[in-house]
Parts: sequence; structure tokens; C-alpha cells
Amino acid sequence: MRERNARRAALAVLALLASTCAACSATNGSARPDYDPWEPMNRGIFWFNNKADEFVLEPVARGWDFITPRRVQDSVSNIFYNMRFPINTVNNVLQADGRDAGIHIARFMVNTTFGLAGIFDVASDWGLVTQEEDFGQTLGRWGLGPGPYLMVPILGPSTLRDAFRYPVDGFISGIGYTGYGIVFSGAYVVEAVNFRAQNLDTIERAKEASIDYYSAVRNLYLQRRRALINDSNQIPNELNEDLYNADEFEELP
Amino acid sequence: MRMSSKSFLRLGVIAASAIGVAAGAAADGTSPREVVIATTDGVIAVLKDKSLSPDAKREKIEAIVYANVDFDTLSKLVLARNWKTLTPAQQRDFETEFKRHLSVTYGRNIDNYRNEGVVVTGEREEARGDRTVQTKVVRGEGGSDDINVDYRLRPKDGRWYIIDVIVEGVSLVANFRSQFQDIIAGGSAATLIDLLREKNAKGEAIVTPAAVRSRTED
Repeated sequence: MRERNARRAALAVLALLASTCAACSATNGSARPDYDPWEPMNRGIFWFNNKADEFVLEPVARGWDFITPRRVQDSVSNIFYNMRFPINTVNNVLQADGRDAGIHIARFMVNTTFGLAGIFDVASDWGLVTQEEDFGQTLGRWGLGPGPYLMVPILGPSTLRDAFRYPVDGFISGIGYTGYGIVFSGAYVVEAVNFRAQNLDTIERAKEASIDYYSAVRNLYLQRRRALINDSNQIPNELNEDLYNADEFEELP
Repeated sequence: MRMSSKSFLRLGVIAASAIGVAAGAAADGTSPREVVIATTDGVIAVLKDKSLSPDAKREKIEAIVYANVDFDTLSKLVLARNWKTLTPAQQRDFETEFKRHLSVTYGRNIDNYRNEGVVVTGEREEARGDRTVQTKVVRGEGGSDDINVDYRLRPKDGRWYIIDVIVEGVSLVANFRSQFQDIIAGGSAATLIDLLREKNAKGEAIVTPAAVRSRTED
């Protein structure tokens, strides 16, 4: 019963998502800013996330970075990525992408064995390379637009569509259903700290390089997700037209 | 904060190095591909040169970038419709400060060079007579760490200039446009120019005061 309600709620949200997106492509066209109707709330959460980062995650990550060599950080990241194998594979299957699903399966087999339980990314050295997948991308592949931009507490930038990845991908990887929830959330903390440690400079520089950090991150996220879903770095035609139009602007004196 | 993909946050740094790499000397009549190759090779040569101080490197890279990026067009593109609302003086100020911003923030990446190489992987025609040259920044073996960087070029006065850098699908023009739109919407063009100026001054104070002072005085 509860399950059926949950499913109905999910369908309702999906329908809402589909309709908001019809609306956003209708108003599309020129200079359309990134769709962010919940901006005040999002900015609040973004502020909170940055504070949490500043006072908790970053200091811990600096400590971790201080005591662990780069190679260890890479290995930790490899192990977690290897464990992500079911999420990657199932989503590739849902996207009817047999080739990439095969690559993910091969990667998992190679890295779990030759890579010693995922410590070493041997598969990449062998040319078994493909991108990370998640349920947000799957929904995008199925034709669902991103919907409103959504800043998720602690987890960071997302969209209404992409937020579905958390429960669905969590379900795929068995987290929360195995009774080891605490162990897994502990593992997530380690992954987050390690990831943050690997990106100390990157994030600092991203902050410096942006004039408005909030809209810079939002736009970066939205553009990157679009590229991931299209499996292409090409700017889609409908944006291309507007983005590179300088004709109607007056010349510099 | 956990972000969506491993590569997502790495983009910041790469975007930074990419615009640094978006430069190089090219004679008239050279193809877009040649402009990009000359550019990336030129910047990498500077980055690799151990005899140069960071300041000297930055100056050299800046020269290469300024020679190959069309900042007039870039400024119009990032401001889009707002461009027309600026007075000519504001347009000039904006262009100056925007250039300075790129120089200050991306100049900080000079020390982060880790022997990356650049390979041209393709080229395609675009609308408006533009061309896109596709490249890969190659880091380490296996190709899992390679980064796709596209350069969009547009002809002007008989030669090709870079007008955008697209890193893993993220256009710098689009990214700055979105930021600037927000700032102008919440204030005015003057707000944006002041903000840029303030941020640049702060950034320059942190980076290399001497080099910058000598440059801004001329």
C-alpha cells in the first residue's frame, strides 16, 4: 500500500516535470537564463552547503590530504568507483546502451581481480574507458527535461529530474535495503572526504574564477549534465543559435 | 559536497588551463586548426620553460591569448542583450575588466601544469561561418583522464580568432553569460563592472602584485 502511494507520487512528480519542461522549451529562445524558479530557496541551501563545506568537510579533507599521499587518494576513489558498478551498468541497460554496459561489466571484472578489489584502475590502462552513469541521465535519455534547478542539502547541485538518482541509484546499489545503512553512509562520508581532498585546489580556484559563484556552479552543472546525457560535448543547435549571436549588438567604438 | 561526477569539479581547473591554452601565434591565412595548434603548443612551450619565473610565464601566455582571442566579440557574447544597455565607456571598461579577470584567475593555474599534452581530434563547421576545433588534453595513460576541449573560432579581419572554449561540453561564454545576467538583473551594468574591478584588485593583490602593477600602469 505504502509502496503504491510512493509510486503514484513519483508518477505525479514525473508528470509535473514533463509539463514544466514543455513550458520551459516553449519560453525558450533567446538569452533564456538557466531555469531556476526556486532560486531563493536554492541560494539559501547553497549558502548552507558552503558553510558546511567550509567548517566541516574542507578542514577534514585538508587533514586527510595531509596524511595521505596522492596515490592512496586515487586508490580510495578507485575502490568507490568500482563499487558503483551496478549503478553504471543498470543505467546503461535502462538507456539501451549495451556497449557501455559491457564496458562497465568488463571494467568491474578486470579491476576487481587484476586491480585487487578495485584499488587499481587497470581497466582504464587497458583502454576500457567510459563515462559514469546515473538515473538522472537515464531519465534525460528517455526524453525528460531537467525541470527546475534544485540545490540539495549536503549533496549539492541537481535538478528535479536528477534528484531521482538518489533514491533510484541508492536502490540499485542496495544501500538502505541491506540493513547496513550506517556502514554505507560511513562509506559515503569517506568517499566525500576523499573526493574533497582530491579537489582542494580545484574548488578554491573555481570560487576565485567566478564572479557569481552560485550562478557559475548552476550553469556549470546544467551544461555538464546536458553533455553527459547527449554523450556529446557539442552545444545543441537551439542554444548554439543564441549563444554565438553577436550580430545585433553594436560595435565597440 | 559530493558532486555528480568525478570529472565535474575537475572542470574548473581545466577550464582555467584551457583558456590559458587558448592562444598562440598565427599568421594570416592560417586555418582554424593551425591557430589552435599554434596556440596550445605556444602556451605549453611557455609552461614547460623552467627558466621563466611565474610572472614572466603569465606575461608571455597573456600575449599569446590576447593575440588569438577576439575579446570584442567575446565581450558581446557574454553580455548578450545587456551589451546594448551599456554606454560606450562602460563597454570599454567591461572589456578591460573582463580581460583582467581572466588573466588574474587563470594565471594562477600556471603552477599547476603537469605535463599535459594537447591533441587535435577533429574539426567541424558551425553556423555563422564559425569553426569548431576539437582537442583532447591528454593526461596520463589509458585515456580515462583525457579532457575534451573544443575551441570555437570566428573570422575577423582576414584571420581566425577564438571566441569560446568548451570544456567537456561546458561553454565558457555560456557560463559567464549566466553569471553576468544574474548580476545585471539584480543591479545594473555598473554593478557588474564595479564587482569585476573589485574582484580583480583583490585577486591581483593575492597573486603577483609587482607584475600586475607594471602592466596596469601602461
